Amino acid sequence: MKLTRIRIEQFRQFRQALEISDLDAGINLFTGPNEAGKSTIVAALRAAFFERHRSGSVDDFRPWGDTSASPSVEVDFTVGDRQYRLTKTFLNRKRCELQAGSRRLDGAEAEDHLASLLGFRYAGRGASAAEHWGIPGLLWIQQGSAQEVRDSVTHATDHLRSALNESLGEVASSGGDEVITTVEAARNELLTPSKASPRGQYAEAIEREAALSSEVDTIDAEIAGYRQKVDTLGALRREHTADENEKPWLRFRRECQAAIDRLAAIERIQETQASEKLRATQIDGRIELLRGQLDGFASQRDAAEGRAAALEKARQALSASAALVAQWLAKRVETSARHEAAREALRLARLDDTRHSLTRQLDESRLKTESAAAALAKAESEQAALLERQRLAAAAEISTADLETLREQHRQIRELQIRQAAAATRLRFELAEGRHIEIGNDSLSGSGERLLLEATAIELPGFGRLEIAPGGTDLAQLGRQESEVSDRHAALLQRLGLPSLKDAEARQQTYAERLGELKTSTATLKALAPRGVDALRSELAGQQARVGEMEAALRQLPSAVGGTIPLLPVAEAEAAEAAAGKSLTQINDSLHQAQLAAANAQTACEAAEREVASARAILDSPDRARREATANRELVDARAEQSTLSARLEALRKQVSEARPEILRQDIERFRKSAEQHEKAFSERRDTLLRLEVELQAAGAQGLEERRAELARDLAQAQRRAQELRRRAKALDHLLQLLRDKRRVLTSKLQAPLQKHLNRYLQLLFPQASLEIDENLSPGPLTRRGAGGSESGAFEALSFGAREQMGVISRLAYADLLQEAGRPTLLILDDALVHSDDERLAQMKRVLFDAATRHQVLLFSCHPANWRDLGVGARSLEALRATV
Amino acid sequence: MAFAGRAPEAWWGSRLLKLLHTADWQIGKLFGQFDRDEAALLADARFKAVERLARLAGERAVDLVLVAGDVFDAQGVADRTIHRLFNAMSGFSGRWVLLPGNHDAALAESVWTRALRLQAVPANVSLCLSPEPLLFDALGVAILPAPLTQRNTFNDLSEWFAGAETPSGMLRIGLAHGSVRGILAEAIDSANPIAAGRAEQAGLDYLALGDWHGTRQVDTRTWYSGTPETDRFRANQSGQALLVELAEPGALPVVTPLATGRHRWRTDTLSLQVASDIELALLHISELATDDVVQLSFSGQTDLAGQRRLRAAIGQAAGRVLSLLADFSALRLEPTADDIDALQADGYLGEVIDELRAQQQGDAADIARDALTLLAGILGDRRAESVAGGGA
Repeated sequence: MKLTRIRIEQFRQFRQALEISDLDAGINLFTGPNEAGKSTIVAALRAAFFERHRSGSVDDFRPWGDTSASPSVEVDFTVGDRQYRLTKTFLNRKRCELQAGSRRLDGAEAEDHLASLLGFRYAGRGASAAEHWGIPGLLWIQQGSAQEVRDSVTHATDHLRSALNESLGEVASSGGDEVITTVEAARNELLTPSKASPRGQYAEAIEREAALSSEVDTIDAEIAGYRQKVDTLGALRREHTADENEKPWLRFRRECQAAIDRLAAIERIQETQASEKLRATQIDGRIELLRGQLDGFASQRDAAEGRAAALEKARQALSASAALVAQWLAKRVETSARHEAAREALRLARLDDTRHSLTRQLDESRLKTESAAAALAKAESEQAALLERQRLAAAAEISTADLETLREQHRQIRELQIRQAAAATRLRFELAEGRHIEIGNDSLSGSGERLLLEATAIELPGFGRLEIAPGGTDLAQLGRQESEVSDRHAALLQRLGLPSLKDAEARQQTYAERLGELKTSTATLKALAPRGVDALRSELAGQQARVGEMEAALRQLPSAVGGTIPLLPVAEAEAAEAAAGKSLTQINDSLHQAQLAAANAQTACEAAEREVASARAILDSPDRARREATANRELVDARAEQSTLSARLEALRKQVSEARPEILRQDIERFRKSAEQHEKAFSERRDTLLRLEVELQAAGAQGLEERRAELARDLAQAQRRAQELRRRAKALDHLLQLLRDKRRVLTSKLQAPLQKHLNRYLQLLFPQASLEIDENLSPGPLTRRGAGGSESGAFEALSFGAREQMGVISRLAYADLLQEAGRPTLLILDDALVHSDDERLAQMKRVLFDAATRHQVLLFSCHPANWRDLGVGARSLEALRATV
Repeated sequence: MAFAGRAPEAWWGSRLLKLLHTADWQIGKLFGQFDRDEAALLADARFKAVERLARLAGERAVDLVLVAGDVFDAQGVADRTIHRLFNAMSGFSGRWVLLPGNHDAALAESVWTRALRLQAVPANVSLCLSPEPLLFDALGVAILPAPLTQRNTFNDLSEWFAGAETPSGMLRIGLAHGSVRGILAEAIDSANPIAAGRAEQAGLDYLALGDWHGTRQVDTRTWYSGTPETDRFRANQSGQALLVELAEPGALPVVTPLATGRHRWRTDTLSLQVASDIELALLHISELATDDVVQLSFSGQTDLAGQRRLRAAIGQAAGRVLSLLADFSALRLEPTADDIDALQADGYLGEVIDELRAQQQGDAADIARDALTLLAGILGDRRAESVAGGGA
């Protein structure tokens, strides 16, 4: 199919007519920016073919806002050798006209002819949609949908198949797919689609079968239990009847009674045995008593003899101890005398010693008294001297300050006198012999000089008197000062009792000397009486008193005994006296013990005498012999009875032990229990029988086996139903499998030529790659040779760009396939391949160029630069619009 | 032996004794292998058979009806079933003697004790629950029963017959349930043995046996009566009772089988080899009677049309006869070219049909045949629709 001319008028943005003529048989490239009208051209072509001219759903064909417009499209094309012209006008002037060679078709007839020719359908109502577009829908790639190839192929499958069937010359089965659908639906009623497990009626039938089977099992178990009980009942009844006839417990009762009787007999023997034993015990006791009695008599005799012997012994002991006492007494007398002598010697020795020592001490004390008296005399004289020196020192005492003051005063007076002399009126006189003058109270004669320090009246005897007043105030002043100081000096001297400074100085000297003497005197006294003279004095008094005392003591001492006995030294005398005392004490102790022993022996002897007396008294009691004889006789009798009893008891014991009463008791217990056991078993069995009968009657009324038979019948039916459904399911599954297999084989036959064409293009794009075709003739997984060996990926997993490229080459392959089947082909690519990189685009251009050698291709693009090397000139839409 | 010195003159009244010998009533059997309705009819037929026996006993004026075991099919039948049985027997007011068999053994608690407890047993019915002679002075008959008191036993319960004393001049009639040794297939209830020649050895005038569902003579005095109403396929000579006539002690019994069964149980195998065999088979099917219980097996092969006709005929017959089970498992489907054309199976559908035909020879032949039948059905329906659609 080749378009040669398109004319579009009043269609969307083409308010004015647009005509494209001289279309090439190969590639036709239309370029223009967005909104230039590329897609409108494509839409117009789709409208011309897909929409019925009478459609009311095509308002959007009108130019915007132009309600009066009648959108129209006119297309000239050839199919094979035949020329066609399709003229279609929508909306206000609905019209369709198809000139096919010399034939002319109108309206719906024209449209149906087109649909059959190109392989598409019209929409029943409303606007045409993708599912109606068939083969043109596949080959005419809408903007942005090159990669969406699967749906387009699905919509075109029937058309493709019929086209391909013709080329293959095969019959693909007219209703095969419908049969498959029917079979599949029937199968899926019974089996789940994926896992083929039972569902629906089939599953219900299996469930019912299982439920009934388990019910049958349950009731079988009940029946088995019932039968078991019936058997038990039978067995129990037999046993019961046997027991009722035999009554085995009666035998045991009898046995039991017999044993009881035997036991009672034995017990009587045992009672006798016990009483005999009691008797034997009593006799044993009596023998014991009699023996005791006889032993008592014997021991009394023994006691009397023993006591006499004891008395003898006591007496001997007594005499021995008395002798001992006598010895000790003699010894004591002797020792006392010795002790007394030692004491006297000691006394005398001590007296002598005292006297000697007093005499010696007295001598010492007298010496001390004398020396103390001498020391005291010296000290007293020294002390008197000291006191004298002290007085002297005190008399000469002058204080250093006073002396200094005196010295200062004296110096001041001297100084003042010098100054006065210097300033005073010097009066020199030389008086005739015997003549005198009086100055003041002085009567002067001879010659001399005088310094007049004050107005001085000079009596010149006889001549009157002269008043000489020294000139100047200083002299008066100085005179006053001098007199003042002299007064003070005089006062001080007066106080000190000294006439002059010189005396004061001398006195000071004396004082110093006397102080030195005092010091020496003090030191001497100190040496003589370190603690003072009074201490010496009291010491002397003390010594004198001691001497007095000693003399008194000596006087009181008796005078020395006549010197016949040489006196022992005190220590020796003391030792002798102690030794004598010690042996006296020891002898006293021994004596005391001997006396004590003697007393004890005396007491013992007396006691023994009393005991002997009492023992004798017992022995001598009058009926003692008779009683002893009686006891002896009775003992003999008792012994005889004891031996008889013992023989009897042995016989009884033998009797009892042979009868084994404990075993008899066990027999009684055993027989009694056996009887009870049997009775109990009998009555329990009777109860069990009753219970079983009741149970079985109740269970029997349920008609268990009839119910089981009913269940078994239902189960058999359920099994038959399940089996039927199983067979049906298997058959359907098998049939479906087979149908699908056969269809797949056929499909693969159809796929082969498509695969061939597809590979041709694919090799240009991806050398050594292969793209699988699925049974719906859609592209499947792409297998490429990569770095890591061949890798395979689903079509949907490819990148957008790759899918777009695959989409385009798939469509080219379909076009080749259709062309081989003699069907018209036209490829329209509206802005396709915009996502391809330069390299792939270059390959795709080779692909397109190759395809264009067989098919007409209309290529719309807003990127003219991309397509410069396509080998065709681009038609600019602006230019096309301008030409109209 | 006790009966050796029996004097003929002691036989009071030289009247002919007539008894009806029957067995294996299997009351309460439910026939689970059949559909519910059919099974109900067959279960009901057991009671009907007893009613007929009662009627027959009256008509033939028998002195005694002996039932040689397996009166009930199971111990645990419903109370209602027990009552119903004794009601069914009420048509004959003479003496009935019932023997427990292996299905209804006289256990400590059994269907019999229940029947007694329910007071369902009429006065004219004697139950032989223990092995002791049952004397009917008026009839001059001593019945020696060998009731099963266990479900199964490997002892010969008829052993005691020989040692049993009966009044001289009385007929000695044994009543037992089990397998006579040596004459019946070992497989059939080989428990409960009965020694061969028991009748002669025990001096019996007649030994009435049960357990074998077909009528069978064991020796001159020993018979299995069979069940009065057939209850299984492959039970030859069933559906009868025996009229036994005894002239006097020691005389040979005269035994006449009487038909009592209503339902014919038949298993027919129809082989389809050539086209005309279909017609014969259709004729056979059309001849099946209302009371028949039928198992039909087909073998050979047929085309689709033949199969359709067979199925149609069987569908019709199934509505008529009591029960009809058809087994096509051995019948191969061989669609002809015409069949396939008629089905308009073009393209790969044709291939599928060919494949299924071939598979009928293989391991999964059943599945292939079923699949083919299904496919043919679907295609047939489609054609019918398209024809109907085309005609409209």
